[in-house]
Amino acid sequence: MEIPYNSTARPDTGLYNGKVGIWLFLASEIMLFGAVFSGYVLLRVGADPGIWSMGLMNKWVGAFNTLILIASSATIVLAWVSLKLKDWAGYRKWKIATVIFASLFLIVKWSYEWPAKFTHYDITFKSDEKAVEVFSDPDFLGKDYEAKLKEVWHKRFDRDEKDWDKVDLKDKPLDGHIVGYYTKNDDGTEEHHPVGEAFGLSFWSHALAWRYDERNEGRVTGAKRDTFLKRGIVAIDFEPAHGTWPAPRHAHAGAIRYAELKGGSKHDGDDHSAHHHSLRIEKSQISRLSSYEPAHSTFFATYYTLTGLHALHVFGGILVMLYHLLPVSRRVYEADPERFTNRIEITGLFWHFVDLVWIFLFPILYLL
Amino acid sequence: METTTQTEAARHDHHESKEGHGHGHQHFLTKYVFSSDHKVIGIQYGVTSLVFLMIGFLLIMAMRWQIANPGESIPVMGAVLENIYAHNNTGESVFKDGVMSADAYNQFGAMHGTIMVFLAIVPLGFAAFGNYIVPLQIGAPDMCFPRINMASFWAFFAGCTVMTVSFFIPGGAAQAGWTSYSPLASVIPTDGQTYWLIGMILLITSSLLGAVNFIATIIQLRSPGMTWFRMPFFVWAQFVTAFLLLLAFPPLEAAGIMQLMDRVCDTSFFLPSGVFDTGSTPMAVSGGGSPLLWQHLFWFLGHPEVYVLILPAIGIVAEILCNSARRPLWGYKVMVGSVLVLGFLSFIVWAHHMYLTGMSAKVATFFQTTTMIISIPSVILLTCLFMTLWKGSIRFTTASLFALAFLPMFGIGGLTGLPLGFSFTDLHLHDSYYVIAHFHYVVAPGSIFALLAGIYYWFPKMTGRRMNEYWGKVHFWGSLIFMNIIFMPMFIQGFAGLSRRMSDGGATYSLLQNPDVTSGALSDLIIKLNEYITTGAFGMFLIQIVFVINFFYSIRHGEKVNGDNPAESTTLEWQAPTPPPHGNFDTPPEVHGEPYAYSLPGANSDFTPQTEKNRPETA
Amino acid sequence: MPMADNHSPEYYKGPFKRIIWIVGAILIAGTIASFTVDYIYAEELTFKQALYFGLGIACIKATAVILYFMHLLWDIKFKTISLTLASTVLFFIGMMWLTVGSEVDSVKPGQDDTTWLHGAQKDIKFKGDKSPADPTQTQ
Repeated sequence: MEIPYNSTARPDTGLYNGKVGIWLFLASEIMLFGAVFSGYVLLRVGADPGIWSMGLMNKWVGAFNTLILIASSATIVLAWVSLKLKDWAGYRKWKIATVIFASLFLIVKWSYEWPAKFTHYDITFKSDEKAVEVFSDPDFLGKDYEAKLKEVWHKRFDRDEKDWDKVDLKDKPLDGHIVGYYTKNDDGTEEHHPVGEAFGLSFWSHALAWRYDERNEGRVTGAKRDTFLKRGIVAIDFEPAHGTWPAPRHAHAGAIRYAELKGGSKHDGDDHSAHHHSLRIEKSQISRLSSYEPAHSTFFATYYTLTGLHALHVFGGILVMLYHLLPVSRRVYEADPERFTNRIEITGLFWHFVDLVWIFLFPILYLL
Repeated sequence: METTTQTEAARHDHHESKEGHGHGHQHFLTKYVFSSDHKVIGIQYGVTSLVFLMIGFLLIMAMRWQIANPGESIPVMGAVLENIYAHNNTGESVFKDGVMSADAYNQFGAMHGTIMVFLAIVPLGFAAFGNYIVPLQIGAPDMCFPRINMASFWAFFAGCTVMTVSFFIPGGAAQAGWTSYSPLASVIPTDGQTYWLIGMILLITSSLLGAVNFIATIIQLRSPGMTWFRMPFFVWAQFVTAFLLLLAFPPLEAAGIMQLMDRVCDTSFFLPSGVFDTGSTPMAVSGGGSPLLWQHLFWFLGHPEVYVLILPAIGIVAEILCNSARRPLWGYKVMVGSVLVLGFLSFIVWAHHMYLTGMSAKVATFFQTTTMIISIPSVILLTCLFMTLWKGSIRFTTASLFALAFLPMFGIGGLTGLPLGFSFTDLHLHDSYYVIAHFHYVVAPGSIFALLAGIYYWFPKMTGRRMNEYWGKVHFWGSLIFMNIIFMPMFIQGFAGLSRRMSDGGATYSLLQNPDVTSGALSDLIIKLNEYITTGAFGMFLIQIVFVINFFYSIRHGEKVNGDNPAESTTLEWQAPTPPPHGNFDTPPEVHGEPYAYSLPGANSDFTPQTEKNRPETA
Repeated sequence: MPMADNHSPEYYKGPFKRIIWIVGAILIAGTIASFTVDYIYAEELTFKQALYFGLGIACIKATAVILYFMHLLWDIKFKTISLTLASTVLFFIGMMWLTVGSEVDSVKPGQDDTTWLHGAQKDIKFKGDKSPADPTQTQ
């Protein structure tokens, strides 16, 4: 006995097997993403003021990815329609377009968006005094540091501008990139190390996913994943994020040496391309340093979990769609066009769901 | 019509003896290992889960020894465990001199719960019986998506492997309890918990694939005439169970992924700010997480999971009781309604596991109310099953004995749950041995008895041979007596305030060790009960050996059954050839009536199969 | 409603393709709208306004995808599936409300639990006040 209703609908339910299966599967997927989403709401509602980072996402990238995912959702319907019209060439065309859009989505996410985040750091300070030391550095923000700090802070943590006083100055982060670091030799002299450039790509020229936490000092297990303790770092050259902070007026001594190493200009001028304008920040000033990796905060933990889970679904979808372009699928199509069309419809339903998830992820992660 | 069925069946028997399982010459691997036949997959699930049932039982035996004789070397197995079992992070054996350390106790406890729930009873009740019986009972040739079914089993098998391997890695298995509460589970330095999470994610994936398959099969592949209200109650129970798995498991999968992130990527989903592990400085994590989030997500699965454990069991009991009492199922439609309501309500009672988390009294009131409401459909189900027996001429086979014993045992388990459903009584009883006794009455003499009944009942259909009835009855009476010896005293211990998860069985808090304490210490009697319980557990073990031998002996040497319907049952699985070939039926069986047409007035025999066309008028 | 499968080839060539292009355009317009509004007015909008706006657009987009791309609108099981979806969403909201509610509503350390006080008792202010009417202080 063969399994019935694989390609035709069962009269009393009006559905063929695959469609029942995929809708049930999507129901469980709703619960899966819903659970992480409810975690997002619960953690966000329960977050202390100044914990939930906002406005750190690259909105351009987010909007771009939304658009290509939507486009892929439209092309996969067109692929299905082509099959309905018994047009294999049209199906092939639209299916390949879908795969290209989907791959582009992943390429943007995995080769640009995430790595760029791993080179972007937040620093919080040991005490309010140390924070003031850094912010009011005459080369950096100067005496009127508070106005600029307030502006940046409101944008990131406090859209409604009511929590400024609830968070200590030391816990208001400074964000940027690490461009060099200092270690101490045995004879007490300091040694400067530039952070190398790789593949000529700008974001690789910054340190990737370093961590430091003062609470790791003196802990046996804590030091294992702590870059500062592992490398014996005593200070870093820190370049505040371009879009957010004004560039420090004078390049730091270490940075100049770095520029020299690169064959740039030797004098301290306005030549921005030759060297980094960075601040020297001592380890003794830092309370916690973390890149925008999952461990950074509950926001980034949720961000990576949600988008990672979503990206895995995209990846799985691409594999299935590639399979449907292989010669073996052509043979299936020729043997039973109706059944193959149904398969494409099911793949489409899954793909639209993946698109739907992203439609909600875009505002909650990028815009709010 | 019946005669046709019989001759067809006879032809099949013949066909089969020549070619074996009626499917030509298949390679051994594709036929028995990588098979997509629902019956083979069902048996694979069954065997795997029975093995894990035994492993879970052995774990608790070692723990019971430790509880009754704290600090004494485990006889025989102690030396073995010291040599083969994983060492802790500092390289010392957790079974030094054969004595179970607290670390080992925690690992065994966590794994006992995990194995029993996720690797033994769910796969046995839902996957094994469901896979084997459901397509047959609805007259389907196979499951809706046979290859997904196979994938489901292999995902399950991979999950089982990861769980088993975790016993032998440095540091040993997970030790944060089967509930894996964070922050503890997030910060434990050994790798067992990570293995546990990966294993769980595989098991959940397997359950999801299985659940989709079951629901689609029941919706799409019912044979002609098999309307919704002609489905046997077992199929209804499996249908609701599949929905529970489909919708309740994904949140645990999400929670598992988050806890994995906590452990692997150092995130703080479940770690609040300023959490300490060891030493005097807080952990270097970002904080801002919520330990309660884990509990919510876990129990959002956890409570429906209870019904995943019990509903297939109730389905099996309903089948067997009707058959052995030769009576239609009393209140079939009411039972179907109850099981649907039960399924829905089970999603909104989860926080009664969390009364002690400081939730507000308003929310606690809501969950108390739903918890009380959910007991109503359960009682309806139980009442209907009792009423089915009324005026029946009961055949006391081993299967029906186990099914009958299920009723009072599940009743005790259910009723003792009421005090735990109220927040004010729960404050006293929470995390005591009372809780252990309560849920073990539901799943051990409840679910497991029903599953054993199912094995005795369907064994002839699967193998064409019967299990030995005499030894079956020995197995039954022994199990019934020892079950009660084990779990009844735990109620008393729980009332007295004995906490669970103590590796010395509460000796630290006994009067013996705290002679100066005026109140609150555990009396000698309470501590003494541990020894009785342990004796009961060892007796229980001996009795199960009878079952194991009976099971394996009967596969080859059991008494052969005559015909395809030795149980004289009405449902479709008994109208198929024995054992059913690949594809089950030659033509889709036509269904003409209700599932439990026993003792119809005016019928030729005391059972009228669903395929019978000439049904008496009164039906 | 007729099944999607019952449409004629002409339908798929003509009106259906048009629908897909229109829906695609709506989705793209929605994305651009939410992005632009956030880009220009990020400073002025309060969190609540941004939330309503962002999720509102997302809901419109989601509805379009479900109805047209997932062609639920033509599906013979439109009622069943959409009712299921709707009840899933309601169920999900209820679940969230309970989960978040049990958190938000719980008694934090240092607060008084006034849940069980009724009527006149509710007016009694007893923070730090050791008046005999305070039920938490009677023991």
